[in-house]
Amino acid sequence: MSLVILYGTETGNAEMLAEDIAAHLKLHAPLVANLSDFDPAEFDKSNFYLIVCSTYGDGELPASAKPFAEKMDVSKPDLSGVEFAVFGMGDSEYAETFNFGGKRIEELMTAAGAQLRGVRVTHDASGPDLAEDLAFPWAEALLMQRVGS
Amino acid sequence: MVSVAIIGAGPSGCYTAQALLKVLPDAQIDIFDRLPVPYGLVRYGVAPDHQGTKAVIRQFERLFERQGVGFFGNVTLGEDVALADLQAAYDVVVLAVGLCGDRRMGIAGEDLAGVIGSGVMTRYLNDHPDAEGHVPQIGRDVVIVGHGNVAIDLVRLLVKRDEEFHGSDLSAQSQRVLQDAGPRKITVIGRSPADAARFDPVMLRELGRLEDARLQVIAATGEGKVIDALAAIQGHAPDGARHDVCFRFGWTPQRLLGDQRVTAVEFVATGGVETLTLPCDTVLTAIGFDAGDGLVPMAADDDGFIAPGLYATGWFRRGPRGTIPENRADAQTVAARIADDLGRSPPSGRPGRAAALALFPSAIGFAGWQCIDLAERDQCPPDRCRTKIASRQQMIAIAQSAGATS
Repeated sequence: MSLVILYGTETGNAEMLAEDIAAHLKLHAPLVANLSDFDPAEFDKSNFYLIVCSTYGDGELPASAKPFAEKMDVSKPDLSGVEFAVFGMGDSEYAETFNFGGKRIEELMTAAGAQLRGVRVTHDASGPDLAEDLAFPWAEALLMQRVGS
Repeated sequence: MVSVAIIGAGPSGCYTAQALLKVLPDAQIDIFDRLPVPYGLVRYGVAPDHQGTKAVIRQFERLFERQGVGFFGNVTLGEDVALADLQAAYDVVVLAVGLCGDRRMGIAGEDLAGVIGSGVMTRYLNDHPDAEGHVPQIGRDVVIVGHGNVAIDLVRLLVKRDEEFHGSDLSAQSQRVLQDAGPRKITVIGRSPADAARFDPVMLRELGRLEDARLQVIAATGEGKVIDALAAIQGHAPDGARHDVCFRFGWTPQRLLGDQRVTAVEFVATGGVETLTLPCDTVLTAIGFDAGDGLVPMAADDDGFIAPGLYATGWFRRGPRGTIPENRADAQTVAARIADDLGRSPPSGRPGRAAALALFPSAIGFAGWQCIDLAERDQCPPDRCRTKIASRQQMIAIAQSAGATS
């Protein structure tokens, strides 16, 4: 199994978190890629995907995740057997669309048949927790479960 | 090793350093700012109740803490150092100084008392050292001219109750000014039709959560996300609200009336003849920014090239449009251009930081800023995340007492 960390970012916060998770899990030698550079045809059942994705504007996907969503819409890949987890980032100051980016990624993946592992995290930039303080234990727990299964 | 001086430690300057380190990992990068503190408009422009937006600062801190970027605060280009001298010291100079002046409407009466630029107003409310002592006098009946996010920020700040600022970094002195003001009526008005207004829809929708303001939208015709957001907030009317906020579109300001202080604004329908007179005691202009008394923008290519070794990015290059991520994209563009130019014409090896340390021995370094940062977070009340130090002298004293110059 390879661990692949994908990120969708607009301001760079999700990119930094993805790199931080990769550094934290360096024993697993994760691959890190921007969703803008990732083709859905590359999804591989033997890998495990951690997707970090922010929310921007009026509940939209961040700029770097938009090309990925378009490719998913056009190519409609069959992702059954692909396992993934989502770490969403948002700001509760914008309550109506809070964490819609991560939600949309989850919907895109599950609609294509991929299986969500764990619960989608909804980090709040206006909340008390630093993103990595939630993300590191989240990623570690997911990896433990996979080793155990 | 190439040496790079970036002028301006706001989002454009910091993102430029970040992008340069991705394409030129060995570059020695120093960021200069005329203030003793970094982060520019993220600290002094993003509203005090939008702390989530300020989270990009964590990326910028990393530049200085882990990635070897130097900070030289309290150094003003053109006063403490000439551009030519910086160019002699560094292989590459990037101008990311932003735009600090309020664009003027260019109509009669603009200099009456009670007419305040949004930059002047928000610098005061954000405890900017240049605003020290210039207390804005806000009356009961306010007209905000402009259809952008700055206008929305002003509305929120003017009508929010104390409890709605919990968790913010609004200072006690700013809060006092806002409370003393207590405008009853606020009209947000501008020349564009509603479907061409520059508001971010998400910022409009946020107004629908205000606890102490009724919202009315007049003549918002057309289609699109801004129209949808305006429709969503139209008629918002919490019980007992003390403020009335009205949005109007398609009115071009003609002149301001009044003797000493403004008493009314006259508008004409954009592209028409109908007129509208709004009585008021305060006019806030939020129609964009220009160089003001800062550095005058220089002609640059779309990728930021001005002259060999000299580049521009951010608002300073392309004007006062676009939020934080657009300046990130702009920074990535100029960084790619710099790397490309250096590939074709390698640097001559100028002294870089060694020269800057000799030229500016008392500049405030990042360690100095960290002392100021700590003091600001230590001294704040429990319902605030920070209380900014508004005095430049006090900031410098804190940084220097810790022996933390660069």
